Amino acid sequence: MANAVTSPPAVAAPQPVSVAAPTPPATGMPTARSGRTSRRGTRPVWRLVGGRILAALGVLFGVSLLAFVVLDLLPGSAAQQLAGADATAEQVARLTQALRLERPAHERYIEWFVGVLRGDLGVSLASGQSVRVILAERLPVTIELVALSFALALGTAVPVALLAARESGGLFDRLSAVICLAGLATARYVLAILLVLLFAVELRLLPAIGYIPLGTGIAGNLRTLALPVATLALPLFALYARFLRADLLEQLRGEEYIVTAIAKGLGPWRVLLRHALPNSLLGLSTLVGLHVGTLFGGTLVVERIFALPGLGQLLLQAVTLRDTVVVQASVLVLAAATVLGNLAVDLLYTLLDPRLRHD
Amino acid sequence: MTDPVTSAERAPSLRVNAIRLPVIVLAVISGSCLLAPLLPMLPAPIDGNVLAANQPWCAPGHPLGTDGNGNDVLSRLLHGGRSSLGIAVTVNLLGLTLGGLLGAIAARAGGMIDAVLMRAIDVLIALPSLVLAVAIAAALGPGHGTTITALTTFSVPAFARVARVATLRLEACPFITAAVLSGTNGMRLLLCHVAPNLLPHLGTFALLGMGVVILIEGALGFLGLGVPPPAPSWGNLIAHGQETLAARPALVLLPSTLLFVTVLCCNVLGEALRVRWSTG
Repeated sequence: MANAVTSPPAVAAPQPVSVAAPTPPATGMPTARSGRTSRRGTRPVWRLVGGRILAALGVLFGVSLLAFVVLDLLPGSAAQQLAGADATAEQVARLTQALRLERPAHERYIEWFVGVLRGDLGVSLASGQSVRVILAERLPVTIELVALSFALALGTAVPVALLAARESGGLFDRLSAVICLAGLATARYVLAILLVLLFAVELRLLPAIGYIPLGTGIAGNLRTLALPVATLALPLFALYARFLRADLLEQLRGEEYIVTAIAKGLGPWRVLLRHALPNSLLGLSTLVGLHVGTLFGGTLVVERIFALPGLGQLLLQAVTLRDTVVVQASVLVLAAATVLGNLAVDLLYTLLDPRLRHD
Repeated sequence: MTDPVTSAERAPSLRVNAIRLPVIVLAVISGSCLLAPLLPMLPAPIDGNVLAANQPWCAPGHPLGTDGNGNDVLSRLLHGGRSSLGIAVTVNLLGLTLGGLLGAIAARAGGMIDAVLMRAIDVLIALPSLVLAVAIAAALGPGHGTTITALTTFSVPAFARVARVATLRLEACPFITAAVLSGTNGMRLLLCHVAPNLLPHLGTFALLGMGVVILIEGALGFLGLGVPPPAPSWGNLIAHGQETLAARPALVLLPSTLLFVTVLCCNVLGEALRVRWSTG
């Protein structure tokens, strides 16, 4: 739930896999975690990293299993969808044979799973194309979209948060607070429609739909991606700017190293940029990691509205066609993005904050 | 190090009436949506007369005009809100109850049970919420029940995590130790000692979650996987209005504004209550 993270991590934020989680209080009943860490004392970094990676692989396995079960247990099959509404039972049966769907579910899953381990993602039930080829076509679009959105959101949120924190309670701070609240309450699809209405219909500056690949020309590519990227970036910008501002103020008002820096006679900007910001950015990186998956999810809507040939569109089509193989692969890719995002944050934390290594 | 209270208290300019104002606005919106079927002069939201299509504002009997199918716009807005808000409330109540119980049980039990439950929750959270909702909704076919199922699937794990962390914190409190020492059995401890103390956390989380669920429900409706037309919901009203965007922007702007205001109020209220309750 994206908005949950607006609240500071101490109470409500869903934690990443748990390095960043506050350690449960020492008194009271011993929990599994505190027991484990106290027994071992110092944990070598590689052990921690290995554990994280194993956990991530486990989660991915669970996700693929879940996706398979959900699609398999539910009524309707790819054969029925492909044969059409007025197909005879015989036609459906023949198609089921041809697609080899008549075998028991666990056999199909195991076959698929072994394939994935060998790097073979299977063949689309609907088009007969290799899933790897399809993904290679679709994934770059979505990755470019997501990367640009993150860049835009962070690139704007950091300066805005700095300016707001520099003079908290000032005009700029109030203004940005209002914009952030509005950004958090705006639905992506509404924002997309409004942007199209303004920039494509009224001002005729940018194309409303369509996509020009990066290879064809960078200017055209950026023009087609401008509105989708803005749509994805605004809510993120709001979240990041709010979080970073609160965190910066936290550092400025509570931390002793800031008092030291001020006492040394450093200027306010220098304290903010060189002392408070690096520490606050560490907190922000948790949010960014958590949002990798959310943002990939957001592409579902945005790609549909702007007719971008990315992973989101692929998934929507495949879900409708009950093309399990393609759905499996896309869901796996999306989940992998989320898990990798969390993993990256966990590892980054461990690298940057030595305290966590010697918990 | 991080003190949730001070950081949020400093949120500028919005402290005044941050509780009263959103409550009033939410009450007006949900009240009129809830009472919509009882209003005598309000036409039905569906089965309009095509001959009366596309009437402008203030047309006789239709204060906000009619849409392309001759349905009253105001009526569709209010009935749409009924289903959108109804779904959001149901999903959050389900999430709060089931997720809260799961989280508290995981934290109290510890060991294997905790590990297994939390790994299952990791799996659910690893799926982007909209992807999961789309997969479930597409598989079950569009409808109220489907939307609720799809959205509950990701709200339960989110609540469970919050409940687990909050329960772990409670474990340290003397009154829990006292209850354990006085021989209170597990179930009673969970329901009578832990649960009441979790409610403020989960309640505020639910308010913040309301906003998220309304937005995602709208997205499902927008993708054609939510409440099936002709029945209205804010999401499918926006999607439908998008087809005639250039000619009649109001058909998109009206439901969008209601959606925006509702989510905004839920967020502001949730934030304000969180600050208030954590100050104790």
